[in-house]
Amino acid sequence: MAEANVLHRYRTFAWSAAALIAVLTSGCATVRPEQRAALADPAMQFEAEGGEDESLQHALENREGAWGGGSVKGGGCGCN
Amino acid sequence: MVDFDLHAALFHEASPTSAMTVLAPGASLGVTPVEGLRVGVGWEADIVSGATESVKAGRLALDPDIVSAASIDDTRHVFTGNLAVERGPATLAVGYGQASESDYRSRSITVSASTDLLQRNTQLALAYARGFDEVCDRANPVTRDPTVRLPLDTSDGCFTEAPERAVRDVALDTLQVGWTQSWTPVFVTQLVFSGGLQHGFLGNPYRSVVIGAGGQTAQEHHPENRARGAVAGRGRYWFRDLDLAVGVGGRAYRDTWDLLSGSYELEAEHYLAPWLRVGARARYYHQTGTLFFSDDYTGGEPVLGPRGQYWTGDRELSPLHSYLVGAKLVGAWKGGAGRRVGSLFTQLRTVVAVDFVDTRLEQFTWAGREPDDGLAILTTVGLSGGF
Repeated sequence: MAEANVLHRYRTFAWSAAALIAVLTSGCATVRPEQRAALADPAMQFEAEGGEDESLQHALENREGAWGGGSVKGGGCGCN
Repeated sequence: MVDFDLHAALFHEASPTSAMTVLAPGASLGVTPVEGLRVGVGWEADIVSGATESVKAGRLALDPDIVSAASIDDTRHVFTGNLAVERGPATLAVGYGQASESDYRSRSITVSASTDLLQRNTQLALAYARGFDEVCDRANPVTRDPTVRLPLDTSDGCFTEAPERAVRDVALDTLQVGWTQSWTPVFVTQLVFSGGLQHGFLGNPYRSVVIGAGGQTAQEHHPENRARGAVAGRGRYWFRDLDLAVGVGGRAYRDTWDLLSGSYELEAEHYLAPWLRVGARARYYHQTGTLFFSDDYTGGEPVLGPRGQYWTGDRELSPLHSYLVGAKLVGAWKGGAGRRVGSLFTQLRTVVAVDFVDTRLEQFTWAGREPDDGLAILTTVGLSGGF
């Protein structure tokens, strides 16, 4: 019963998030291709430094109890 | 078209009693044999040396010396391979990873998909990963009561037929959904939801915890299931007149061990020259402890007493907060039509970064003594490019 409630809450959250995204993005191509110079700059990219950002995330995750919000990855513990 | 990435990170926690150093080199290579197809391989390692407490006692310990530092020298190798197919605005990728160290083995598969919508103003990404991990453990009979289980003393004999060794499974499922949105020519945001399920042996097999007033110890005992969820949001704004990008971000996290956390980030990058930019970042992180964390399981009452049927000596499951400050310097060069960087590369980028992390443990002690290894420094260097 409890699992069903949790599943129901996750489904509600997922549909709400999808609806929110649809509403916020519908018909709002706000930036034309020729206006994207600043957005394409590496300084405006999320996690643009690749391996270096992953090293920091790896170090933090091994010193904190929380996780997530970054990139999906697998590949072992390394958690001494 | 070939692209490569070489990087190395040096993590160091200075401490007179529990110093830890991790050197983490890595390399990856990607090839685009035909338009729309990319094949990549990678390798990473963690070379760990230092010391960690193998027995956790709390502030009521009769013998403060019971907290002993055990030395660690281990190397973990991770090999990865991935394949990505790009068709128009959509990308579909699959990946495989395999990691091994003397006492831990892992295999993982990843499937991800992403697409650009609305003239590339909206990017949606979905990724799923499944990990099949194995932990070496002492061959405690599974029927033996957790209160009398012994910890693993050494990795000798792990993953062999040695009768005193056992292998415990860990299954990891991770799902991530990301939404990146360009709102104006200088403003972009990203929202990420991560969900994870862990099942199996989730403790540290080497660590034991004092659970009796008389000094009795038992191997750390964690629940076998953990469901985790995190929501992160971040945004970046470009100040044209200043050649400056400023980013803010935050993350909320909760899991079924009742650990709650929040983190807040501020970042800025500024161009010193068209090929050179400098960046600075700061981060504050805080978390509660898990429901079953206690600094001392012998006192009879929380905070100094047992909290249910589980016990841990893991400081990462205790209430804590931390501060991070860091800086980086990035040099990037791009070739043009018929012109290459250094006569070879279509693009080249190098980065040097230094980050300091100061962690404050709010309840966790070494037999009543405050741990002295809360300050860590992470230095990272990287070189990447394409030709």
